[in-house]
Amino acid sequence: MNIKVSREDLLKQLGYKDPPQPRLLDMVLEMLGLLGGLVEPRLAFKEIQEENELPPFLSGAALKYAGAATLGPKLENKVKDLFEEGKAVEAYILDTAGSVAMTKAGNMLWDKIRQDAEAKGFKTGLRRTPGCRGINLETQKWIFEKLADRDLGIHLTSSCMMFPRKSLSFLARFGGKLKGTSSCKGCLQYSDCSLRL
Amino acid sequence: MDIIKEIYDAVMEGKVDDAASLVQQALNSKAEVNDILNKGLIAAMDVVGEKFGEGELFIPQVLWSAKAMQAGMDLLKPHFSSTNHTEKGTVVIGTAKGDIHDIGKNLVAIMLEGSGFKVADLGVDVTPERFVEKALEVKADVIAMSALLTTTMPSMGEVVSLIKAKKLPFKVIVGGAPVDQAFCQEIGADAYGMDAADGLRKVKGLLGR
Repeated sequence: MNIKVSREDLLKQLGYKDPPQPRLLDMVLEMLGLLGGLVEPRLAFKEIQEENELPPFLSGAALKYAGAATLGPKLENKVKDLFEEGKAVEAYILDTAGSVAMTKAGNMLWDKIRQDAEAKGFKTGLRRTPGCRGINLETQKWIFEKLADRDLGIHLTSSCMMFPRKSLSFLARFGGKLKGTSSCKGCLQYSDCSLRL
Repeated sequence: MDIIKEIYDAVMEGKVDDAASLVQQALNSKAEVNDILNKGLIAAMDVVGEKFGEGELFIPQVLWSAKAMQAGMDLLKPHFSSTNHTEKGTVVIGTAKGDIHDIGKNLVAIMLEGSGFKVADLGVDVTPERFVEKALEVKADVIAMSALLTTTMPSMGEVVSLIKAKKLPFKVIVGGAPVDQAFCQEIGADAYGMDAADGLRKVKGLLGR
């Protein structure tokens, strides 16, 4: 699986709308060059069958999935090393590039799930991450129990954080009725989200 | 050009090597240490913080400026004892118990150090007891905590409770994506830092610097 982060994507995530000074641009390109060798993406999903103890987000859905993705540990180890070497700018840019890559990995996972759902006759679905609107963070445990037989290399801490940190998980649902909105407007970071602006 | 102005410009532009060599030149030419510090390094970093707050500068440039300031500060430190300058204060910093996300915390630590604060960085997943223990050990002025998730925020309140129960003099500043002024007030913390530059500004404010 190949995840590409463009210079434009990264600059946008860093906050720049106009081209930055040349030395920053050089550093951005250098970090993007490093990124490819540090990212080892893995992703997996599983269709969830009807059962008694479903997370509320999945209740009533005709087709249900749990999925997770990670970039692996190399990237964040390198970020840590850079911080420790006093190269904070490099560390920050590389970490931000990793965040962009993680978003792309999440979208790839979502595409795969949607393809699977489409093959089963469903076109429109929703995905939501534990810790977001209406899904308790503890749901992470449920998701990773479902994906236990997949070789993702993600470890959950006692507080339900994922290691490697550049990992994500979500539930997805197709069909049936879900209460509430699916737009960004319910999000606490709606007013200053850099992804939306 | 006035060498103090050149130092100011070097920090503004985040030119680390230039800042260091200009501070050395200024010291060699017997410029006032307090002028180098206050009119050169600190004045520039204050403006960098303002521009960041206004969305004119972004984190990479702020970090470069902080590094340039730090390079100048390192050269100035041996001269502080012969002037009226004192350390700005000591800050114990870490992420809340259960929270392992440290990029924001690292940025704040770098900016604090760059501005002349002594920083004891406890890393990630720090228990309330450990925050207080370290603050006592290093005679801290401020405990700074960050959390990325709502589930890890409550332990910040435990730190405040511990401090109050033991009647300790530490100020507390909190920050992180889900944290806001209302939460800060709810747990009885002294300040909320909206971002790294605001955190630095608030720490200075707490200590009257």
